[in-house]
Amino acid sequence: MNDINANAIPAASRERPSTAARVGIGGPVGSGKTALLEQLIPRFLARGTDLAVITNDIATKEDAERVRRSGLIAPERVLAVETGACPHSAIREDPTLNMQSADDLDRRFPGLELILIESGGDNLASSFSLDLVDYWLFVIDVAGGDDIPRKRGLGVLSCDLLVINKTDLAPYVRVDLPRMVREANEVRKGKPVLLTNCAIGDGVDAVVEQIAREVLFDR
Amino acid sequence: MLRLTRVLGHATEPQLAETLHRLEHGGTVERLKLSRADTARKRLHAFTDRGTEVGVMLDRSEQLSNGAVLLLEPTRAIVVALEEPQWLALAPRDAAAALELGYFCGNMHWKVRFAGEYLHVSLEGPRETYLERLAHLVANGSISVIGDD
Repeated sequence: MNDINANAIPAASRERPSTAARVGIGGPVGSGKTALLEQLIPRFLARGTDLAVITNDIATKEDAERVRRSGLIAPERVLAVETGACPHSAIREDPTLNMQSADDLDRRFPGLELILIESGGDNLASSFSLDLVDYWLFVIDVAGGDDIPRKRGLGVLSCDLLVINKTDLAPYVRVDLPRMVREANEVRKGKPVLLTNCAIGDGVDAVVEQIAREVLFDR
Repeated sequence: MLRLTRVLGHATEPQLAETLHRLEHGGTVERLKLSRADTARKRLHAFTDRGTEVGVMLDRSEQLSNGAVLLLEPTRAIVVALEEPQWLALAPRDAAAALELGYFCGNMHWKVRFAGEYLHVSLEGPRETYLERLAHLVANGSISVIGDD
C-alpha cells in the first residue's frame, strides 16, 4: 500500500471553528424560557464558555432589556430581534433576522463559543430551523397542564431536548408529574427530557451539561 | 470524543477517492450516518458505524453532505453517509381532495414532492406520527396511503 501524500491532502483538523455553536430555546408563552436563560447564563460563564444571547419578541425588546438589566452578562452581548409577526416565522420559515444577528455577534466577539437564541413565546407547534440553530430546546411547564406531551405538538416531538419547567408547582395545579414525564418520554421515543425549576435553578445544571455535551465538545 | 472541525473534501474528488479506496481495502473507512435534516447542523454529537464518538463542529460556511470527508489519516477516514430519505406516498381521491391534502401538508410544514397523481411526504420522524395526523383524511376517503392495504 502506498503512503498517503500528506502534503497533497488538506489538514485533518483545527482546534475549533471560528463561529459559535447556536442553540435555540423555544416554547409557549410563560413557560419559563427567559427564566431558563437567566439560569443558564451564569452557569455557562462560570464554566468559562464565551457566550452571547439573542432574544425574540413580537413588537418590543422586553426580554432583551430584562436580560441586559439582569447584570448577568455584558449588555453588548445581548441582541434583540423584533419579529413583528408570528414568532415562529423568525426561527423557522425565514430566520434571516436571527441569522444576521448571530453572524454579527460572531464578528464582534472573536472566540465566541455559544449563542443562545430565545424564541418569542409561541404555541406547541413552533420549531426551529436547523439552518438557524445546531440544537434546540423546547420549554413547557407543569402549570400549562400535564396533557401537553400527549397533545404531540411539533415542538414537543421534534426538539432535541424537552425541558419541563416549574416542577415545584405540580402539587398546586393538580398535575401528576411522574405521569407527565412518562408520557413525554413515550411520545419522544427516547429523545431527552429534563426537569427544571428555574425559579431557584433546580435541574439547570443538567441542561448545561446536555448542551455542552451535544454542541460544545470542550471537555 | 474525536472532534471533527472541517470538511476536507468530497469522496468523489479524485485524490481523496484514491486514498479512500486504499483505506477501504484495509477496512478503516468509518461512515457517519446522518439524516438529510441533520446535514443542516454545524454542530453534531454522533457515533460512526464503528462506534467512534465524534463531535462535528464546522464553520457556518461549511456544509455537511453525502460523501463529505471529515477525517483522513494514514490509517483511518470518516465519511458522511446520508440515510436514504423515507417517503410516505399518498393518493388523493380527486382534485378537491388533492387541494385539501396540499393545504394540510403545507400547514404542517411537511416537505413534499410531486409524483404524478401521488404526493410524497418526506418522513422526518416516525411514520405512525404522520399517519395519525392524516387519519381524518384517510377516514373520510379523501386520500389513501399507497402501499397500505
